[in-house]
Amino acid sequence: MSGDEATTPPTAAKPSATAADSPAKLQTAVEALSSIVPSLSKLTPASLLTSPDLYPKISALLRQPNSGAGDNNLCRWLYDTFQCGVIDLQLLVLRFIPIIAGIYLSRVADRKPQAGFEAVLLALYAHETTSRAGKPVSITIPDLSQSSVYHEGSAKTSGKGPSTPNSGGTEPETAVVSPTLEPHGTVRSTRRARIVGVALELFYTKIGQMPVSSKIDFCEFCKVWAGQDGEMYKQFEEGGEKDEDEEEEGKRKELEAVSSEVVVEKKAKVEGRVPLCWELLQPVMRILGHCLLGPNNNREVELFDKANEACRCLFSRSMHDVNPKAILPMRSLMRLSKTVMPNNNNVDPTDLPFSDVISL
Amino acid sequence: MESEENEREKGREVCANGNSISAEELEAKLDAGNVQEAEAALRDGLSLSSEEAKAVLGKLEYQRGNVENAFQVIDGIDLQPIIQQLQSSLSEKGPVKNALLFEAVYLRIKCLQKLDKCTEAIDECKSVLEGVEKTYGQGTFDTQADNKSQEIAGRLVELLPELWKQVGRYDEALSAYRNALLSQWNLDNEICARIQKALAVFLLYSEVEASPPNKTDGSYVPKSNLEEAVLLLMIILRNFILGKIKWDPAVMEHLTFTLSTCGQTSILTKQFEELIPGVYHRIDRWTFIALCNCGAGENKSALNLLRMSLHKHERPNDLIALLLAAKICSEDPHLGAEGVGYAQRAINNARGLDEHLKGVGLRMLGLCLGKQARVCSSDHERSNLQSKALQSLEKAVRLEQNNSDLIFELAIQYAMHRNLTVALSCAKQFFDKTGGSTLKGWRLLALVLSAQKRFAEAEVVTDAAVDETAKWEQGPLLRLKAKLKISQLKPMDAIEIYRYLLALVQAQKKSPGPSTQGSQVEDGKINELEVWHGLANLYASLSHWKDAEICLQKAKELKEFSPATTHAEGKNKFFSIMFEGRGEHLEALIATLNAVLLEPNYVPSKILMASLILKINFISAAPVARCLLCDALRIEPTNRMAWYYLGLTHKADGRITDAADCFQAASLLEESDPIETFSSMI
Repeated sequence: MSGDEATTPPTAAKPSATAADSPAKLQTAVEALSSIVPSLSKLTPASLLTSPDLYPKISALLRQPNSGAGDNNLCRWLYDTFQCGVIDLQLLVLRFIPIIAGIYLSRVADRKPQAGFEAVLLALYAHETTSRAGKPVSITIPDLSQSSVYHEGSAKTSGKGPSTPNSGGTEPETAVVSPTLEPHGTVRSTRRARIVGVALELFYTKIGQMPVSSKIDFCEFCKVWAGQDGEMYKQFEEGGEKDEDEEEEGKRKELEAVSSEVVVEKKAKVEGRVPLCWELLQPVMRILGHCLLGPNNNREVELFDKANEACRCLFSRSMHDVNPKAILPMRSLMRLSKTVMPNNNNVDPTDLPFSDVISL
Repeated sequence: MESEENEREKGREVCANGNSISAEELEAKLDAGNVQEAEAALRDGLSLSSEEAKAVLGKLEYQRGNVENAFQVIDGIDLQPIIQQLQSSLSEKGPVKNALLFEAVYLRIKCLQKLDKCTEAIDECKSVLEGVEKTYGQGTFDTQADNKSQEIAGRLVELLPELWKQVGRYDEALSAYRNALLSQWNLDNEICARIQKALAVFLLYSEVEASPPNKTDGSYVPKSNLEEAVLLLMIILRNFILGKIKWDPAVMEHLTFTLSTCGQTSILTKQFEELIPGVYHRIDRWTFIALCNCGAGENKSALNLLRMSLHKHERPNDLIALLLAAKICSEDPHLGAEGVGYAQRAINNARGLDEHLKGVGLRMLGLCLGKQARVCSSDHERSNLQSKALQSLEKAVRLEQNNSDLIFELAIQYAMHRNLTVALSCAKQFFDKTGGSTLKGWRLLALVLSAQKRFAEAEVVTDAAVDETAKWEQGPLLRLKAKLKISQLKPMDAIEIYRYLLALVQAQKKSPGPSTQGSQVEDGKINELEVWHGLANLYASLSHWKDAEICLQKAKELKEFSPATTHAEGKNKFFSIMFEGRGEHLEALIATLNAVLLEPNYVPSKILMASLILKINFISAAPVARCLLCDALRIEPTNRMAWYYLGLTHKADGRITDAADCFQAASLLEESDPIETFSSMI
């Protein structure tokens, strides 16, 4: 009936070229950028990918009030740069996805024209659709009764062990990591979350190559999207300890009586809360998982703190939505992040056990 | 670890050859900078070699956290012969002379790691392991070989990937992890489980683009990072269940995070149920499984578990359980009353740090009260419940101003109260906050407008909604549009839309369509049966009996293909419409009777049957008609046709005042009747 969605996505060039292979494209990108952002005119093709100035300057521009409009030059530049097919340049664009997705979603309610942001997001969506041929990504849940590279199957003991529920020739179960992708030529409002979600999925697949500042921005936007304060979960305790808590109740009550007023006031001011449907939550939770539990991330104290805050806010949100599909992963993430706190006295599992009596 | 306290009380000391020296004494010497003096004390007092003495001092320093000093002391030992000895001790049976010296090899590498000399640490670790691997590779190692050498070898295997990780060389870390698990190291179960966990964590969160491990002996090889991680975590859990290793709660948390972000909570339930009792407190277990069940859409079993955990002897005030139980109840009219109880308890317990959940409790209370009202038998009680529902939602929205779902629910509640102006403003607010991202937002807006008889505007909204929706999800919107056309007396347009819908159904059958997980497709799926019924109804109203009959025939054929939902009531109802249209009243009456018997809660059949009784002036059945209509109004109090026919029965019986009341109700309702019921929205 309406504009058919079968509009073919802009053909993305094969993303196999690296920056070294295509100095001309790098040159073009640098020139185009310096005409849009004069303060970055000192950039050279060599420093484009590594300049520390680039991220803060472009981020600041993206945060300006009309940054997402259709005629915005920076959006145009991001779009063109991503489309040029050079892998390093695509990674460069990906760095800005948290900020673009964050601002874009939070401005939807204001009904501002955001065709510029949408073009960039659609380019990423199309890229992913093409490279996956629209197919879903899923995993097969392993069946432990069958031997794997890491273990011997329990076929011999089957029937005895409690751990053979999957045996018996049933179909292996699968879990969907990311569902099918349909091509989209425009951002339809009911597909918006999916399109942004896929852009975030793409960000996630390259997250090892993303700078910390970009991840920090992501965490900041998680808080905005959650629209929920998470401070009360700082001393997150399990339901089991409730009874003991009861004793402190009196004390706590007094304390909270004062602060809850503040909380309510704060809540009223929160702007930018967005509907967190599964399509969006899925990649958001995975990225957050990386920010908290990725290798060496607990050395990035600022990122770790921000990710923790984001985690608490999203957990709080999941409670407000009474959404079990979000409560479960967010609660686990909160528990796990506690075990890797940088200043927590973590036991290094590779350390020798401490012994008071050294005996030979 | 537990015995640590006891040992400390006993005093820290070094013992060898039947003598002992207090650790404090040695440490005092070290603190004074007299390393040689301390070494001499050990040599003389315990008859140790110089190497052994240094190893002891190194360990003391390391344990005190003086890594720099420890390194210096150990650095004074010539480790090369010791490494060789370590390697040979793995292959030769026999007493090992000096476990302490092996430990020194390991401590030296740990010192390097802590002193930020990871590259050096890696080199040393690798070179020792290469030798060990050779020994193992020759197959000459003795499984009974000295435990200490085994332990040190295992520790080195565990340490290497961590060192690679620390210097950011993730590819090397990955292959070191896999080498650790896939080669024969004769690792003990605990170390093996730790490495498995570390690799799983690494695969889950590092986002290294790893190719799967290659091993081709016919066994299962995971195809992606995620699969590999899930496999490892499940293996650890199994080994725990088999009693091979200690419990590590983090393993379950990682698995929970991983599987639940894939939406696979049902597998999680299985894993959890397999755990031996006692690992988790039974209430935590119930709540966890309830969350999993609910996440997988199995609300019934979730609620059963929550009922147990919320029992007064268990954990009756647990907020997660209370809110979840209330939410599940809020989706079923027959559980409404039970849900009210949970919601009330949630509100009472939303104190202290949980104060922020008060609004959620109020929201659940409102929803449950609204549902309870639907199955309520007395008019008075129903309107009472409905007002309470509305009040509760209004209170909730004061605490949760930004909660768009709540605003949506409020809109529906107002609409059901026929407060259409406020309902419209809420619907608009919801629409703005969600940016038109949900189908239900568009539908609600169109329905409220249709109730205000603003059909043209409702149609504009519906058209816009169709534009913003992917093809496969347009079904309900198009059906709505057909109804709007009918309301605007444009039946031919409506027929066109129904035809298009049928074409869409056919197309959808041929294409596999997108996977439904997480998207809005589920509520968007076109119900072919409903389309045929809609069309039949339309033809019947135009007295095109033949066409109507064809549609019903199609619906009937379809019914045979859909075993579960027979929708018999629809068919019977339409047959009766047809019979009625042809003036065959008695046949029509029989058809409606069938419908009423098959589906006792289907309101349209009840009304139709009552109307037929009135039409053929079946006087002795008049009480039946009245009964049917009262029943219909109990289920759907705002059904204007039911009020209208009830008015007719009163009139026929000569109760003129009652009849007038009913007619007035019918006419009031007609002014605010949406084209589909509001209650169909939640």
